[in-house]
Amino acid sequence: MTNDPIDLETLRRGARLAGFTWSDAELEEIRPQVEATLRMLRALDTVAVGDAEPTTLYRTV
Amino acid sequence: MIELARMIATKAVSPVEVVRAHLDRIAALDPGLRSYITVCDETALAAARAAETTLMAGQPLGPLHGVPYALKDLYDTAGVRTTGGSRVLGDRVPARDATVAARLAGAGAILLGKLNMVEFAYGPEGLNPHYGHARNPWDRGVHRMAGGSSSGSGVAVASGLAPGALGSDTGGSIRIPASLCGITGLKPTYGRVSRAGVLPLAWSMDHVGPMTRTAADCALMLGAMAGYDPNDASSSVLPVPDYGAALTGDVKGLRVGLLRGFFLDGAAPAVRAAVEAAATTLARAGAVVDEVSLEQMKVVAAASTAIVGAEALAYHAELLRTRAAEYDPDVARRLRLSAFISGAHYVRGQQVRGLVRADVDAALARRDVLLAPSTPIVAPGIEERQAALGDGPADVRSALIRFTRPFNLSGHPACALPCGFTDGGLPIGMQLVGRPFDEATVLRAADAFQRLTDFHVRRPVLA
Repeated sequence: MTNDPIDLETLRRGARLAGFTWSDAELEEIRPQVEATLRMLRALDTVAVGDAEPTTLYRTV
Repeated sequence: MIELARMIATKAVSPVEVVRAHLDRIAALDPGLRSYITVCDETALAAARAAETTLMAGQPLGPLHGVPYALKDLYDTAGVRTTGGSRVLGDRVPARDATVAARLAGAGAILLGKLNMVEFAYGPEGLNPHYGHARNPWDRGVHRMAGGSSSGSGVAVASGLAPGALGSDTGGSIRIPASLCGITGLKPTYGRVSRAGVLPLAWSMDHVGPMTRTAADCALMLGAMAGYDPNDASSSVLPVPDYGAALTGDVKGLRVGLLRGFFLDGAAPAVRAAVEAAATTLARAGAVVDEVSLEQMKVVAAASTAIVGAEALAYHAELLRTRAAEYDPDVARRLRLSAFISGAHYVRGQQVRGLVRADVDAALARRDVLLAPSTPIVAPGIEERQAALGDGPADVRSALIRFTRPFNLSGHPACALPCGFTDGGLPIGMQLVGRPFDEATVLRAADAFQRLTDFHVRRPVLA
């Protein structure tokens, strides 16, 4: 994922792939937040997780 | 609640009188506070009369016999609508109780009603356009946030409209309203209390727990609620200790790690000063206080967003496709946003989660509890969007959850309690974080602090 702004067509495609049919107005409304969220999520790629497996079993005891 | 239970058991007061007094207070004050969505007048009074009959017959009593309480409106209650703070589920009437509601009833507690909350528990401010924004009782002039998502639980307990309540906590939703409303709230260890019959926000991050005026009351409620439940796959088989017996009032030798860096540096000056003063109070009582920093805090926001967003969207996807117009627009917007979180983001968030848990475990390896602010700020006005933190400005939403959500990721128990007031009379909250399944030590430290201070006994002035 890059730092580039996300255009409406990309949002349409992403929503469609996720199974949603949102209007252009609804997508435009969330566009700044989508961009900000994806920027924030990139922090996850900066973490050296090593061999850490994802937490998938929550019952600790 | 402990005192009420004792007075009822010794017949100093009737459960009918207690329940009626609370219902009268709700009728008088709640139109201005908006802490309840549904009040169970008739069933509460009927239960109180039955409790009185049992009492007078000399039959065995549960630990909460005749004591009223209220539930955040995401706990299923048989025959009583459970809305999740939404219009979408506005007419939903469950057929059976959530496990914890049934357990509290079995302990003798009487349900007063269902409490206001952020729609589907998705937000920390405590706002709800469907049922009204719960009002923080500590400022009669300015409509301030109650904190969320368990906003009604915070307001009802702080205002004396319920002696105790249950909240739920996915990113801080028990501890944030506890902090902003000046009460005590416990997020137990993940797996300690059953989530069965509780509407989810994010299954792997949701915790349920008590909100009361004191740590001792939290201990009483937790003891009645906790324990293995085959209906919750994450429920622990560990035995439930006697939390009340752990409250010795003694913190001599208790090792307390004051969380600096991300926590104290990020707190507003008044909050920082109050938490540092709390550390001094504990030290003077014999606790061994040192300072510690957690290393993985900078990625907590990203990991939490990936996990909560993805899980919340999975739960809401179908409703969002068919009934989005009935959602709070702000909640719908955030759910839509989650459609752009990838599977890789989610898994990476779960990998980071393990690192955050190890980070907290390491800090607790040579300490019994960690001490930090619950929220970096006190209750903002409901129109405020920006907050001044110790390390710069931030939007109110991210500020409110900044110090609480690390322990949703890690699953450690955390108890929020009042530790001061601003010059303007708004409560300041701190949290004590303990080792997994060591709620007893967390509650012991919180109770000891409350024996040394009077912040938890102060009450807002209500009309």
